[in-house]
Amino acid sequence: MSEGALPKDDAVLRVDDLQKSFGGLAATDHATFAVERGTITGLIGPNGAGKSTLFNLISGFYEPDGGTVEVNGTDVTGMEPYQVADHGLIRTFQTPRKLEGMTVREAMLVGPRNQPGESFVNLFARPGTVGESESTNLAEAERILEEFEIDHLATQPATDISGGQMKLVELARAMLAEPEVLLLDEPVAGVNPTLAKKLKDQIRRLNEQGTTFLLIEHDMEFVMDLADPIVVLDQGSVLTEGTPEEVQGDDRVIDAYLGGGT
Amino acid sequence: MSLLSDPKAAVDDLSRPEAWVLGVSVAFALFLLGALLTGALGPTYFLFLVGLAGMYALLSFGLNAQWGFTGLINFSVAAFFGIGAYGSALMTADSSPIAGGFNPLVGLAVALVVAFVLALLIGIPTLRLRADYLAIASLGLAEVVRLIVLNERWLTNGSAGVRGIPSFFEGWPVFSTLPETMPGLRLVVIPGSPILLGTSFWRASLNVLLVLAFAGATFFVLRRAHRSPWGRVLRTIRSDEDLARALGKNTYSYKMQSFVLGSLIMALAGVFYTHLNLYVGPGDLDPITTFYAWVAVILGGSGSNRGALFGGIVIVTIREGTRFLNDVALPIDPAPLRLLLIGVVIVAVMRYRPQGILPPQRELIWPSAVDDRDPPDPPSSGVREQKGGGGDE
Ligand SMILES: Nc1ncnc2c1ncn2[C@@H]1O[C@H](COP(=O)(O)OP(=O)(O)OP(=O)(O)O)[C@@H](O)[C@H]1O
Ligand SMILES: [Mg+2]
Repeated sequence: MSEGALPKDDAVLRVDDLQKSFGGLAATDHATFAVERGTITGLIGPNGAGKSTLFNLISGFYEPDGGTVEVNGTDVTGMEPYQVADHGLIRTFQTPRKLEGMTVREAMLVGPRNQPGESFVNLFARPGTVGESESTNLAEAERILEEFEIDHLATQPATDISGGQMKLVELARAMLAEPEVLLLDEPVAGVNPTLAKKLKDQIRRLNEQGTTFLLIEHDMEFVMDLADPIVVLDQGSVLTEGTPEEVQGDDRVIDAYLGGGT
Repeated sequence: MSLLSDPKAAVDDLSRPEAWVLGVSVAFALFLLGALLTGALGPTYFLFLVGLAGMYALLSFGLNAQWGFTGLINFSVAAFFGIGAYGSALMTADSSPIAGGFNPLVGLAVALVVAFVLALLIGIPTLRLRADYLAIASLGLAEVVRLIVLNERWLTNGSAGVRGIPSFFEGWPVFSTLPETMPGLRLVVIPGSPILLGTSFWRASLNVLLVLAFAGATFFVLRRAHRSPWGRVLRTIRSDEDLARALGKNTYSYKMQSFVLGSLIMALAGVFYTHLNLYVGPGDLDPITTFYAWVAVILGGSGSNRGALFGGIVIVTIREGTRFLNDVALPIDPAPLRLLLIGVVIVAVMRYRPQGILPPQRELIWPSAVDDRDPPDPPSSGVREQKGGGGDE
């Protein structure tokens, strides 16, 4: 059951015996694993294995039926998503989220957390501080867009860019929130190979700069190349965890994929 | 790009709908001026209409801060308006069955506090839930408030309403006696039809001053809020609340702030109305006020403060303009005609411009942050063009 729990001294995220069922369906079934600081950890499993549900439980979108979630050593089980984010965990969604009526750089500016200008009182009491932080954030947003080579989109409507570009913007925006651990749900689904390669490079680079990643991905080539270790989820529980080679050679993993989730 | 320093460049800078609205407004202003000069429109009545327009603008500002910014569906505009109106009426009027006789500033404060508490009471249970819960709860609230006002006679005088309300400036130095001390004026623009400006004219002028102060301050606050990171979180919530939550925003708190802010502005409209009309009755809480505010916001363009202002003026024009049609022989009464006109306007807007006449267009970033750098390519007009603008209401 807890084969996923390899010894980890410095876990930024720890999931212990997590459970969640929808009606009679156990979408998360006593899942236990941890994400070591500084890694890019992959989370794979057949469709319906419960990967996205796990993300929702970890980030506070769903209330677990049992078990605990720890971020940076703090028990965050049952907290609101914004509180989990305050502990350093940010997540993205499987389907890209569109911000209607905003330009790309405006949509990026939603990312930074605890901006002085997010307090209504500050808008009138300390407009100077609000302006300074907005300038800093805007410069930072444009710098990241440049790094991601999408700075030409900065003043485009955020809804008028391609699906792949949207994924890039999501990742870039999540980075502005300065997470310690970033959960990405299928970052390259529907993204063309060139853009996917770009995303891979960005994730690797950000990881080298200190961000820990936990990413769900069905693109095996992508995930096997990028992530280590890899956690395999099947029918709501952790099947195994190991290096890409170990996982690929594991018969149970092949069975799970061939047999289908349900 | 001030309109005064460089009018040509300022006009060139406008988008087509902006230029169109400007043109129509100028034509309408000239028409009103003509009516005033020829004596077809009494100056005191005209100022009363300006007051009403300001009041509707305030109502639309309030709803815009809830629906336009955050996507909160509030069907109790009339209730918060009524709280403002009754709150100040009951505190200041001679005939008030409770306190009464206080300075209008006290009335203003009490009205705002009551509206604040009521907004919290309705927001606490509903704002954590899906959007439709607030809609339904607010629909109920509007009716509850209306029935309390109608039936609790010890508190509100019931169907008789509250009379003997002083003007807002009662008890102020200088202002309270200003209308009496101002000289009466007699303007002769067209020989034979002089225009008399007496005490009632000056009193109405003071009211206009008051509503300009209320609406101007509100507009200033909302405009700054809209372009701030605070407003950006609200707009994110409107578009996709889960995204805001994932990025670490306490969406419940933001929705509450937006709801309370909007409710206070609606109550402010009610306070002004009390001292404009000098009488309030249960009829002032009829749902039609809510309906008008929604029409104004959708017509102007959800999320746009200027749009809300424009929508408010259009509503008053239709509401009051139809009164003049009494003189013209028409096969239809003004009251149904009014609703018909509003219906036609809504259908036309939804068909040809679902995002509203003046939707927010330019990107909304704190001004000093964008002014610091080179201007972006043409102000990304058309950003909101695809926006549905809440046409499904
Ligand atoms: N909100 C919900 N209500 C009911 N059932 C749900 C809900 N969310 C997920 N499920 C069910 O839980 C199971 C796991 O779903 P989940 O989305 O976590 O799978 P997944 O591993 O992310 O799949 P995919 O790879 O296709 O994205 C599925 O059987 C799904 O139908
Ligand atoms: Mg999924």
